[in-house]
Amino acid sequence: MSEVSVKVEGVSLAYRMARDRAGSMKEFAINLAKRQVVYDNLWALDEVSFDVSRGEVFGVVGPNGAGKSTLMKVIAGVLPPTSGRVRVWGHVSPMIALGGGMNPDLTGRENIVMFGTLLGRAPSDMRKRIGPIAEWAELTEFLDAPLRSYSTGMGSRLGFAVATDVKPEVLLIDEVLAVGDANFKRKSSERIEELMSGGTTVVLVSHSLDSVRTMAHRVLWIDHGHCKMIGDAETVVDAYEASV
Amino acid sequence: MTATATYDSAAPRRPIVDPFVNIWTNRSLIGLLVARDLTLRYKRSVLGIWWTVLNPLLTTLVYWFVFSAIFHREGSGDAPFIVYLLSGTLLISSFFSQGSTAGGSSLIGSRGVLSRVRIPGESFAVTAALAAGVNFLIGLVMLALIQLVTGWGIPWTVILVPIPALAMLFLVTGFGMLIASAAIHFYDVLDLVRVILQMAIWLVPTFYPIDIVPDNLQVLIRINPLYSYLVVFRGFMYEGTFAPTWNFVYMGVSAVVVLLIGVWVFSRSWRTAAVRL
Repeated sequence: MSEVSVKVEGVSLAYRMARDRAGSMKEFAINLAKRQVVYDNLWALDEVSFDVSRGEVFGVVGPNGAGKSTLMKVIAGVLPPTSGRVRVWGHVSPMIALGGGMNPDLTGRENIVMFGTLLGRAPSDMRKRIGPIAEWAELTEFLDAPLRSYSTGMGSRLGFAVATDVKPEVLLIDEVLAVGDANFKRKSSERIEELMSGGTTVVLVSHSLDSVRTMAHRVLWIDHGHCKMIGDAETVVDAYEASV
Repeated sequence: MTATATYDSAAPRRPIVDPFVNIWTNRSLIGLLVARDLTLRYKRSVLGIWWTVLNPLLTTLVYWFVFSAIFHREGSGDAPFIVYLLSGTLLISSFFSQGSTAGGSSLIGSRGVLSRVRIPGESFAVTAALAAGVNFLIGLVMLALIQLVTGWGIPWTVILVPIPALAMLFLVTGFGMLIASAAIHFYDVLDLVRVILQMAIWLVPTFYPIDIVPDNLQVLIRINPLYSYLVVFRGFMYEGTFAPTWNFVYMGVSAVVVLLIGVWVFSRSWRTAAVRL
């Protein structure tokens, strides 16, 4: 497990916030004329560094607003870091729930093809995989219904099934497992284990400390964008639990 | 680990080249997005995709009623007024105006995906322009039918229509990217653009013959690049004539310049855009 799969080096990310952020040009022009445009930098991540090895399950814990989701977006390559450097070796497969990428007006079938293509696969490949994906997600009979009519759990199942359909090299899981029922939780952790043994790197963000403890090898604890602690799952989760 | 990373945040982005490379590598995604765009718009309606044709046709009928029945006006040239009107509506209202507006709101509309998956935003801007182009092509079939039914016929120059259509695709893509870049920072750009587009449309003879405009104001119309697209297109589509050379030059130059400026501004603003989306 020495091969590095995700390398995060001194990454900081600032959301530049204009104080009284002007939402319209009129407001902005007025503020500018009054010389009142003051920018605040909100540091969502501050000098965070870590490596994730190939095949490792890396957990991220921390309170709400600690920067967990921002960190995931930086690894996914969606947000360019303000300073520092992120490198990923291998194709990244982020998990998408309803709302983010899944289209409520398209049917389950259409969403499978759409989402798979968004993740970088060929539409023709995805059409062949509709059956197996729906079967795993237990949604075969709802395939031709628009996603609008799906429950949150059904949407997450579909998202998970598509993202893990082909063994992704790096899998990003942001809290999606929390919404499923017991059956889905068992199935999804089985699948994650299956993927891990096949060499998939997993970065997992969760508030469910038990699932982090059992699944992750190493855990990063962040608070207000700072790296508070990094180490083996047991130690870090225990320390985090003691602090809250 | 020595192999090159699949994703490196420190990798430099080439300003003009990269967007075009991205569009090419994402072509199957763009194809899917265009298809989704066309079907989704009318998904809940009874007539479905037929609205693509009905929409400009009904708009044209309104103009026809206003200009023909109330003002007793006819278009320029000998062609039936309805052909003159529909050709203008298809190119200017459907293709240019709707394409640019859709391109402008494409990033904001896809922020859900864009904030989770690493997809170049270009894909969504191009999708809007292509979808408007497909709508335009569907409308052309209707126009050709009307030309046949009214006994006017279809000249051989119709095979050259792809030239103004392609130029318009470039213009709409570039313009849409410009609006999209601005709309990330200020939402009300989209409202402002709608008003400006309305003005630009009235400054070309889409529904009225150019000769009703006083001579001293005709310059205003001729300097509007859209006028050149319209003249070239009408020439090929039903007049069977070639527009004056300056119209071709003006059309080609404006298409390429607007596209390049749009792509450049878009790729420059993309970095800050990601944080704001």
